[in-house]
Amino acid sequence: MEEDGSNSNRRMSSRTRKVATKMVAALASSDNRTQAALARLDALENDNAGFEAADPNIDDDEASLDDDDQVYMQRKQSKGTKRKTRQAKALEARKAPRTFLELLHDANLESLPPHVPTYLKAAVGPPSSTARRHFCTVCGFSANYTCVRCGMRFCSNRCQNVHNDTRCLKFVA
Amino acid sequence: MSTTVVVLDNGGGLIKAGFGGERDPSVILPNCLYKPLTSKKWLHPNPLNTTTTTTTEQDLTSASVRRPIDRGYLINPDLQRDIWSHLFTSILHINPSQSSLLLTEPLFTLPSIQHSIDELVFEDFNFTSLYIADSPSLVHLYETSRRPDGLLSKAQCSLVVDSGFSFTHASPVFQNFTLNYAVKRIDLGGKALTNYLKELISFRSVNVMDETFIIDDVKENLCFVSVDVARHLNIARKTGNENVLKCTYVLPDGVNYTKGFVKYPEQATRYLVDGDGKENLGGGGGGDREIISQQQPQKPVDLTKNEFDLTNERFLVPEMIFRPADLGMNQAGLPECIIRAVNACHPHLHPVLYESIILTGGSTLFPHFAERLEKELRPLVPDDYHVKITTQEDPLLGVWRGGSLLASSPDFDAMCVTKAEYEELGSARCRKRFFH
Repeated sequence: MEEDGSNSNRRMSSRTRKVATKMVAALASSDNRTQAALARLDALENDNAGFEAADPNIDDDEASLDDDDQVYMQRKQSKGTKRKTRQAKALEARKAPRTFLELLHDANLESLPPHVPTYLKAAVGPPSSTARRHFCTVCGFSANYTCVRCGMRFCSNRCQNVHNDTRCLKFVA
Repeated sequence: MSTTVVVLDNGGGLIKAGFGGERDPSVILPNCLYKPLTSKKWLHPNPLNTTTTTTTEQDLTSASVRRPIDRGYLINPDLQRDIWSHLFTSILHINPSQSSLLLTEPLFTLPSIQHSIDELVFEDFNFTSLYIADSPSLVHLYETSRRPDGLLSKAQCSLVVDSGFSFTHASPVFQNFTLNYAVKRIDLGGKALTNYLKELISFRSVNVMDETFIIDDVKENLCFVSVDVARHLNIARKTGNENVLKCTYVLPDGVNYTKGFVKYPEQATRYLVDGDGKENLGGGGGGDREIISQQQPQKPVDLTKNEFDLTNERFLVPEMIFRPADLGMNQAGLPECIIRAVNACHPHLHPVLYESIILTGGSTLFPHFAERLEKELRPLVPDDYHVKITTQEDPLLGVWRGGSLLASSPDFDAMCVTKAEYEELGSARCRKRFFH
């Protein structure tokens, strides 16, 4: 419900939210490398690249409207059939479904007593051994070298060249 | 009430729906809407198991996808309503106001989501009654009914490992109840694996970031779990026909074929024979040459024919379920997840749980999944205990079949919450009946 609180500068908040869905955890951390890694993990749960922008009839028209504009918009629409206005209202009220992380935040699971099993407590937790295998980001074989600039892995000179040319500091969207 | 019971396993990837008492669901439907580049509307995907009704060929190339379920939980009830009403009216041909519904719900569903599901079922669709089941107990129910003499049914307890589309759960079940305090979850499922494969292929050969459906197909056909990663990595490094892992996948071109396919189907299973490659099918270079071809395409076929080679990606992708740390996730892998789930139970249950591990869910369909799990699990389990991993005959449908059994049991009507009760008591109090 954070968006409702900052209703006055809603245009600003809707814009920052678009960044935040991808980089929500990343923004919390200051380190560039962890930011990129977290954003990359978050991207694994994405459905399809750029699908939000590809929805012409719902999102594009109404996403960036202020409250005043919405009233104006409704008035404009009321020239059409009455049913359409209602539909538009319903769409508006329910548009942009909240992400699971937002819902999780709202549920305030931390406040429950410690013996209640919750979504948060069911997570398996960190591995017992922190040793991790590193695979070359270019070819996939085990990688012995780390890029000094961005921290990604590569295994050979050849892969390093590919890395420098195409990926170094180009974070996955 | 002698109404029909609709059993609905509402997964993040696939909806399995049918009628209680039947052996197989009537329909398996992707739980999404898709929009091809050529269309302006969101379309309903065709069901997977019925080939007769698919009159329109669907063009899934670069299609955008909308899913009502994110990270396993229903976040978009409106979209789900669209999909369900299409399902009920056009595919199942039922009248919800004369049927009751058995619906599966993931464990630890947030109260706000439960509330929206109740609204959807009773207010939008008017079902007469509803029963919410959790998937591990249904899998347990199905497996016990299949082997009435097995250890599973005698001990009435099992450990269900459900690796689905959105996440992977290890959940101990005792007397048909999921011990929810012991459930452990890894936030990795089929969707993340597909996206990971997409990322790898896009980096290495062709940009396929928009091709969710095609890469899903690649994953299902070509990926496998390696029992010995180091050895397979060495094989993947080889060139020529010694490299038994190399496999070519042809992308659809929209003219001759609208579906992608594996170029030489024999190649896909060559890794099973283990030895040197038998016949020279693919020719060309192995893993190392492939890298060169990205910089300056030596093999022009790669670009003109729209195909790409997979070598180590084939087993490094499912590998992530076993070692999420390799991906940079701060989560333990599946073997450790199982150990932790068991350790959270009463010590008397430990030996039985290790001996009755049931694998279910679409992501366990990777070849050698069970072998690898057993190999990694054995050293972690105390020596005195046996480890026995049971695979379901159809991991996709295990949950649904359990639900179908439950729906046909005589007590089912008594366990449901009716619409009248919902209207009287509201969502939260009705939910208490399901003991989740």
